[in-house]
Amino acid sequence: MAEVGRLAICLALLFAAYAVGAAVVGARRRSAAVVRSAEHAAYAAFALVAVATAVLLHALLTHDFSLEYVAAYSSSTLPTRYTVAALWGGQQGSLLFWAFMLTLFTTIVQLQNRERNRVLMPWVTATLMVTAVFFLGLLTFIANPFERLPVPAAEGQDLNPLLQNYWMMIHPPSLYTGYVSASVPFAFAIAALAAGRLGDQWIRTVRRWALFSWAFLTLGNLLGARWAYEVLGWGGYWAWDPVENAAFMPWLVSTAYLHSVMIQEKKDMLRVWNMVLVLLTFTLTIFGTFLTRSGVISSVHSFTQSGLGPYFIGFLAMVIAISLGLVIYRLPELRTHATVESFLSRESAFLFNNLMLVGIAFAVFWGTVFPVLSEWVRGVKITVGPPFFNRVNAPLGVALLFLTGVGPVIAWRRASPRNLWRAFAVPVGAGLVAALALAIARVPFGYAFATFALGCFVLGTVGQEFWRGVRARQAMLRESAPRALTRLVGKNRRRYGGYIIHVGVVAVFVGIAASSAFRIEAQKTLRTGEEMDAGKFRLRYERITTAEDAHVSRLQAIVSVWLDGRQIATLAPEKRFYKKPQQPTTEVAMRSTLGEDLYLVLGSYDPPSGLATILAYVNPLVSWLWIGGIVMAIGTVITMWPSAAERRAPAYELGGARVPAE
Amino acid sequence: MLDRRRFFVGGAAIAVFLGYLVFYFTRATAMYYFELDEFLPRREALAGQALRVKGWVATVSLDDPATNELRFELARQDGSGAVPVAYHGIKPDMFAAGREVVVEGKYEGGTLAARQVMTSCPSKYEAKKEGA
Repeated sequence: MAEVGRLAICLALLFAAYAVGAAVVGARRRSAAVVRSAEHAAYAAFALVAVATAVLLHALLTHDFSLEYVAAYSSSTLPTRYTVAALWGGQQGSLLFWAFMLTLFTTIVQLQNRERNRVLMPWVTATLMVTAVFFLGLLTFIANPFERLPVPAAEGQDLNPLLQNYWMMIHPPSLYTGYVSASVPFAFAIAALAAGRLGDQWIRTVRRWALFSWAFLTLGNLLGARWAYEVLGWGGYWAWDPVENAAFMPWLVSTAYLHSVMIQEKKDMLRVWNMVLVLLTFTLTIFGTFLTRSGVISSVHSFTQSGLGPYFIGFLAMVIAISLGLVIYRLPELRTHATVESFLSRESAFLFNNLMLVGIAFAVFWGTVFPVLSEWVRGVKITVGPPFFNRVNAPLGVALLFLTGVGPVIAWRRASPRNLWRAFAVPVGAGLVAALALAIARVPFGYAFATFALGCFVLGTVGQEFWRGVRARQAMLRESAPRALTRLVGKNRRRYGGYIIHVGVVAVFVGIAASSAFRIEAQKTLRTGEEMDAGKFRLRYERITTAEDAHVSRLQAIVSVWLDGRQIATLAPEKRFYKKPQQPTTEVAMRSTLGEDLYLVLGSYDPPSGLATILAYVNPLVSWLWIGGIVMAIGTVITMWPSAAERRAPAYELGGARVPAE
Repeated sequence: MLDRRRFFVGGAAIAVFLGYLVFYFTRATAMYYFELDEFLPRREALAGQALRVKGWVATVSLDDPATNELRFELARQDGSGAVPVAYHGIKPDMFAAGREVVVEGKYEGGTLAARQVMTSCPSKYEAKKEGA
């Protein structure tokens, strides 16, 4: 069976390479037949990669330990759901999964554009297939997932216990989806440059793909944070690890693009800038993949040195060279003459929003690669830790939150005093009232204070927009309030979906600010029956219990939680000892409410004395981070949902060029 | 019509501010990161400075879960060049003799006083080549 998978990958590589050649030739000779042939080759590549993926999945599920990959990342006692996750749990498998997604998206894009964008499509196919050739080349020559062991293993070494977690099932696929789908806007950008079709056509075509990619990057980052929070047991959700940064940077640039593209659509400005953002987003996804696979920068997630680094560097260099070369070549045609007329305008607010997002991305990039830079320049590795990222990004984040409120409601071109008053009187009032309330509640001045007050300001702008929209419909169309609300959102999905995303963003900001600024930590070594304090909670260590099965043995500390003299919960933080890669892991116990999380870790346990060390964290408002994520997801779905006119169009046209501007 | 120049000045001001933030906090939070072999020859010169050292756990001389005291030697992979490490705190799950770790702390009086001991996942993406 495995040989079928191997063969499929090699053939897919050939088809992809052919698709690149045929697409370019077809584009230059303007031969529709040759271009079709390229597209068919891309379909074939997809089918073959799908076969290879199915073969690897089958090998995992049937525990074929004669395969190195299966033996290294799974075992016969591993639960089925994690056996499936092992498909992307290892180096080769994750590359195959990447190739699978990429060819799948290529197929979808080609089907969507069978009858349109015919000038762009050969270049789109060529770009996507160049990327496919890169990944399939790695799979063929460097990282073969179907490598046989000289002697079949009797049992697998099992998936890393840290990955045996619910969130790890969905976090990598969603992140990969976000990463890989960023290649579609990239391919259209390259196509627009190559074909010299620099108008808005390609931008409209990739609007949904860009949103799709952004949505999955958002989801992937939040799920990763959630995984870290539940599994790593240090009480936080984000450590500015290079791997986290690798996923965060493309998200930032992609967010910047989604905003600045609106300026291009409305005002035909920023064409070069938007082009660069799309190209940069893709470059950062490849850079992120490189970071996590090359061992260049040490990280707790680090994939050990795998020899893939130089290939990624080469591919990155090619991507950057071609992107830059094309942009410079087309620069005269990309220039537009429209300029921003006033600092007090929506254009300007969006520009500053972009500066902040790209600035944060730069700071994150700087901090991530600083060890490498310092080694080049000074011969010594110097690292900057989480404090660097927190301190640089806190002021930028607060400024960004402020602009989140300004951008959507300030007037285009030039805001008059009248417009400013009409747009901002209520939101600013809301922010000031919030600030006053915070001051009375003796919340200390600082970033958290600013975040809460600005959050209310942003909610004020969003609330005002909804309120005015509903009132206008009620007055003009005599609709009931709920009906007016659903119609309002339904008719302007992009706008109101965007507002809902902003509400989610506020919740995320509040969750991050509160849990960063007001977190309480306590640690104590206790005998049975002894107590400790954690913020307002009193914890009593009751006893230790043990349990065991074939896969894992557990040691649980039973801790009762008391508040104001009443017992409110019993928590059981746990140490697990996985049997395959003999390794202990920490299982956190949590009591989560909207107000705060009580987060308990069994730090250590000494059997002879019965002493247990309990770590307790009280993380205020951290739930709002996850709730905000859900709200953002809902907003994104609303934004992307096709309008009635689009739904009447044939399905394959969705996301395509004929989508009327809203 | 807003003069393009004014806009560039505004943008440049922000860029300068950003550059300053990055520069300032880089200096404020920078910490040396050494491989053990880089650390050994200059350890006396670095005494008292916060730094990170990467090496392998050789022998563990004290590992007491009752007091959370941990003492071990950080060495090259073959066990040579050992530097004693003292750590008080929760031992990371993946800490074990033979593992690669990064110790963050200060070198004082011939001992690395660790503030933090970090382990990297040994086998997340790449299996050990020797097999189980």
